[in-house]
Order: sequence, then structure tokens, then C-alpha cells
Amino acid sequence: MQHRRGALLVALALALTGVFATTLAVPQPAQALTTEKATARPNEDGGDGVIGGLDTRLTWEGTVEPGEEVTSVTLTLPEGSTFDGSTTRITALEGLKRMDVTGEAAPAGESITVSFDQPVPEGSLLRLEITNMQFPSEGGECVVSGTYVSGGETHDLTASKPIETIANTPLQSIVNWLDEQPWVEAWNSNQFLGMFLKPQLLVTSFSSLAPGWILCLGIVVAAYPFAIALGLLFAMLKISKWRILRAVAVIYINVLRGTPLFLQIYIMFFGLPMLNINIDNNILGIIVMAINSSAYLAEIFRAGIQSIPQGQYEAASSLGMNYVQTMFTIILPQTVRRVIPTVTSDFITAFKDTSLLSSVGVMELMMFSKNLTTVSGNITPYVAAGIFYLIVTLPLIKVVSIVEENIARSERGGGPRPKRRADVADNAAAQIAAQSKEVAADVC
Amino acid sequence: MSAKLRHRAPAIEVPPALPAEEAARIAYANDQGLTSHHFTPGEHPIVRIEHLNKSFDDTLVLKDVNLNVWPGEVVVVLGPSGSGKSTMLRCINLLETPSAGHILIEDDEITNKSSAEVNKLRRDVGMVFQQFNLFPHLTAKENVMIGQTKVLKRSKEEAEAEALKQLAAVGLADRADFKPAQLSGGQQQRVAIARAVAMHPNVLLFDEPTSALDPELVRGVLDVMRDLAENSGMTMIVVTHEMGFARDVADRVVFMEDGVVVEQGLPEKVFDNPENARTAEFLGSIN
Repeated sequence: MQHRRGALLVALALALTGVFATTLAVPQPAQALTTEKATARPNEDGGDGVIGGLDTRLTWEGTVEPGEEVTSVTLTLPEGSTFDGSTTRITALEGLKRMDVTGEAAPAGESITVSFDQPVPEGSLLRLEITNMQFPSEGGECVVSGTYVSGGETHDLTASKPIETIANTPLQSIVNWLDEQPWVEAWNSNQFLGMFLKPQLLVTSFSSLAPGWILCLGIVVAAYPFAIALGLLFAMLKISKWRILRAVAVIYINVLRGTPLFLQIYIMFFGLPMLNINIDNNILGIIVMAINSSAYLAEIFRAGIQSIPQGQYEAASSLGMNYVQTMFTIILPQTVRRVIPTVTSDFITAFKDTSLLSSVGVMELMMFSKNLTTVSGNITPYVAAGIFYLIVTLPLIKVVSIVEENIARSERGGGPRPKRRADVADNAAAQIAAQSKEVAADVC
Repeated sequence: MSAKLRHRAPAIEVPPALPAEEAARIAYANDQGLTSHHFTPGEHPIVRIEHLNKSFDDTLVLKDVNLNVWPGEVVVVLGPSGSGKSTMLRCINLLETPSAGHILIEDDEITNKSSAEVNKLRRDVGMVFQQFNLFPHLTAKENVMIGQTKVLKRSKEEAEAEALKQLAAVGLADRADFKPAQLSGGQQQRVAIARAVAMHPNVLLFDEPTSALDPELVRGVLDVMRDLAENSGMTMIVVTHEMGFARDVADRVVFMEDGVVVEQGLPEKVFDNPENARTAEFLGSIN
């Protein structure tokens, strides 16, 4: 609609110019046909790019100058393009009047010659819409050039503005291939499957969502070391013997745990710019995630530290260790192992929570899938995003259970052992072999 | 803080600690015949406990305990559970803070020390716990090394050599690289003894070292302690229920009940001919 109106305006303008030019009687015989524009219809599934090696529609428009008649037009595209198998629609407008122009299109590889049954008269806008043609598979900027015949003489056409085309990737080939499969068609004809799991869109989603997925991972991986450091700091403050430090930690932890991450994101992303503090969105995302996670980690670490038996402190004290030595050589190393499962769970949560950053324009996974869904009108990109999240979270969930199992196994020996096993262990000489095997197993 | 949180039992008034010379003289006179350990006139007790009181909330668990321990002496503390023996022991290295009274180690009052001084004191007072309290993330060798490297600042090589020596002494040279979880209770306790001995303390405290062990594992630990008592000349204060060990190894047996030292003396005297009826009853119930 927009295009047509634009074309009409152009035609109107040109007609006026034509009238003006005629009155001034300044003919320009050298250029009888001026290229107005050349565009191609987007053929990217869920995008607005023009992909080479895939059927699309080329629209070319030119104006026949006054005093001229055009009997045939030949359009030429860069090597690799093909007009073979295309169909051409001819439109000619004189002013606002549509003229009946018929003609014959003769596609020949990268060029096509359209001969008109009757010459296109002066001052008219000629539009050629060539459907089912293809740009070169390698993509690039494609200029439409060519020749035209006017009054028995052949002239060169002015080259059009280049048309940007995208290379036809292996991925696109897969999509093409899928397009042709009968089972895909059958699959998509089911409303649910077609809407949630459209194979073609699934394939394109994976490539288009990947940058968002990488950003999600990047944000949470960059945020986490800071979250751990901050968390440890506030855990130590919370078990400090000074009341004021404890109060600081309690406020920090409770406020962050007691408010939604969504709100914290809004406050940071909209609040800081108001203070004229402008931080790159991704960096700010990292900061918000780090601060939010640190509150949860502080509680995890505090619980971990307090789960270490009093006897460990007493043993360290009895050796003359001070508080710092006790913490760093005895308590924290043991805490680390104990909290790995919980910390991993929190990491999983943090990774998923990066999705909230889409609300403030961070180009992460949700943002990409939302855009793709909007363009394609299909839910499949969201499903693809879900799969991307699961790629990270499922292995981590597995890690949690493995580590938990290991800890349960190794801590069974923390105190006096069950009688039977103690027997085994104290029969030293005979059982060394068995024990080394156990050691090996523990190492694994 | 509010008065409520500060609630404590009323302060117990005790006389100030005796001057060192006077205390040594009195102790020398008092302890004659109570111990088989040989101490000489002019020698000072290594541990002096005077009027020690300890209360938890409103419960007084130590009531005016007085005890002298001589350098190289092996003192075994007996008594029913709840009699305050462990608490007394834990007061000696300040794992519990005395409520009143004095503890002097080498004539140095320890009850009024800053935390830095307390840490320094604890290097010289080793402790072996009922629950071993080995560091589970470290191997046996590392358990024995860590106090040496972190507290005594010994070099890693020196600490490792000492650790291997002490592990060999408790018969666990071949378990140096095992984690506590891979050791039996008896082995763990022997590592704990090696860990304490490697610090070369002046006094070694044993807090029911065999109570958490299965009967068949007790002997290995007692053998190690016996060896330590007979061959190292280490001052040892042992809280235990092992009567055989007390009889064989102790220079002196102290019988405590209800937070009070009821009777003390040579093992054969206390075991075979107790003065106090309660001691006799306790020993009778055990034997």
C-alpha cells in the first residue's frame, strides 16, 4: 500500500515535471528511460532480508522520458542471479491512469528481456514485477543494469541503487529443504505443531537467537564472580561479632531478597541515568545480576559456614590459629564443598533471570525471541529460546545432583564410622588394597 | 545491650592468685605422696588451677577447683559424667572462659588475656578431642602440618618431616595421604594425637579420647597415649573412663564429682583404697 502510494506520488511528480519540461522544450534524447528504483521482496523467514539463491520478486520502475517510446527493456543482474522460470507482470501508468500494456518476457539466465506488444508511451511510469527470480546465492549488493530499445536504437539503462542481499547459508538451505518436504507441510498443518514447533522457524530461530543466548551466558558468567565475592563479604558481615556490621548485612540481604529482581532492574536502569550515570546496558545488566545474586549467595554462604561443626573451630583454636586463619584454611574450604550444589542452583536461577533484562532493552535471548515472534507471528522462537535455556540448565541440574551425592558419600566418614566399615579399615595390612580402590573411587 | 541479655549468675569472689614462689612451695608440700611423679623442691607446677569456678547460665559446674600439675606428670581425671571434668580441661586452654578463679601456666595467668595472647597460649597447650575434630578436607599429613605451618610458621618441608615422624609414631605412616573419611575412628584419633604432638606443646590435654570409639579400636589409641606418657616426658592431663589406663599410666588420679575435686592421689591408692565413699561407689560401679 505504502509502496503503491509512493509510486503514485512519484508518478504524479514526474508527470508534472514532464509537463514542465515539455513546456520548456528541453528534450533529453540520450536518456529516454530513467531507472526510478529497483527493490526486492524480503524472503527471509521471520526477517526482512533478501536472501540469495531463493525465489523472490524484483520490482523495477523506470520513467519513459518525453518524446520517447520504449519497445523493449532488458534487465541484467550480477552473475549468479537467475530469471529462469520467472513470471513478469507489466504495469504502465500515465499520470494516474493505468494503461493496458502487454508484452513478452524472455528470461535468459541473469538477464531478462521484456518486449512490449505496443511501445510504452512517453511520460509513463513503467513497472516490471518479476516473480520467482533469484539473486546470487553468495549474496552481496546487487545492481540492476541493462538496456532498452527506443526507436529502434539500443541504449544503456542507468544502474539502480544496489539491492542488499544476504548469502544463502547452509541453514537457509535446510529451511528451503524443509519447505519442500511433505511431512513438514503435514506437520505445520496441525495448528498446535505449526504454531509452537514449526520446523523451519525452529531452525532459523537457533541461528538468530544464538547471540542472545551468548549474551545471557556472558552476563551471568561475568556477574557471578562478583556475586560470589560480594556474597562472601556479606556472609562474613552477617556472622560478625559487631552488631553494626551484622545490621548492614541484614539490611542489604533482606532488601535484595525481599524485592523482585524486576524492580531492581527498573531502579538501576531508569534511576542511574537520571543521576547522569550512564553505563552500557550489558555492563549494567551484569552489575544488577551480581548484586541480586550476592544477596542470595550471602545467605547460602552464611548457612554453609554455620553448618561447619563447632569442633572444627575448637580444633583450629586448640592449634593456636586466629580467626582469619581458621576461616580461610579450615572453615571456608569445607564450606565451599558444601555449598556447591546450592550455589549451582542459584546460578541456574540467575541465568534464567537474565530474561528479565529484556524488559529494559538488553539484547538477550528473550529479546531476540520476542522480536522474532513478533515478525513471524509464531510462537516457535519462544520454544527455541526455551531449548536454549535448557541447554545450560539441564547439565547444571545434573551437576548439582552428582555433587550432592559425592558430598553425602564423603561426609559419611566425617565422624566415627559404622562398625562394619571401621572393622575393614582397622584390619590395616589386609585391607590396604581395598582402601586404595576406595581412594581411587573418591578421586574419580 | 539490655540488662536481660547480660544476665549472669552473681560474681563469685575468689582470692587473688598466689605469688609463684609461695604457690610452688605449698604445692610441693601438698602433692607429696599424691603422685608418683618425681618433682623437686623449688620446681614450679606447670599448670596451677586455683579456685576455678565455671557456671553455665545459673548452673555452677565447677566449684572452687584447685589442682597443680607438675612438668612431665600424667594426671588422669575420673568422675561420673556431668562432674565437670571436661569443662575443667576446656578451661585450661580457654575453650571455656572461667567464671572466676585462676589458671596459671608456667606461672602465667591466662584468664585475663587478649585473644591474640590466647592464641599464643594455645600453641603450648595441645588438645585431643572426644570427636577427633580432624579437618575433613585435609589428608592425615596435612592435618598434622597445618598448625605447624600456619601457627608456628615452620617451612613446608620441616612441617612435612615432622608430620611424617609423628604419624609414624602413632603407627600411621602408611596413611599419611588418606583423608579422615577414609580412616577408622581409631586411626582418626591417632592422627589427632599426632596433630597435637607435632606442635610440641608443654601440656597435652585429652578430653575423653576413646569415648567415641568402638571398643576394639580403643586399645590402639591408648597404646599411643601410653607410649607418649612413658617415653616423651610430655605433661598430660587426661579425662577418661579407661580405668586400666589410669591405673597403669597415671602418676596421679583425680576424682571429680559435681564440680568438685573429691579425691586425688596415687592410682593404686585411689583405686584400691579410696578415702571418699563417693569415689569408692563410682569405682565400684565401673569395676
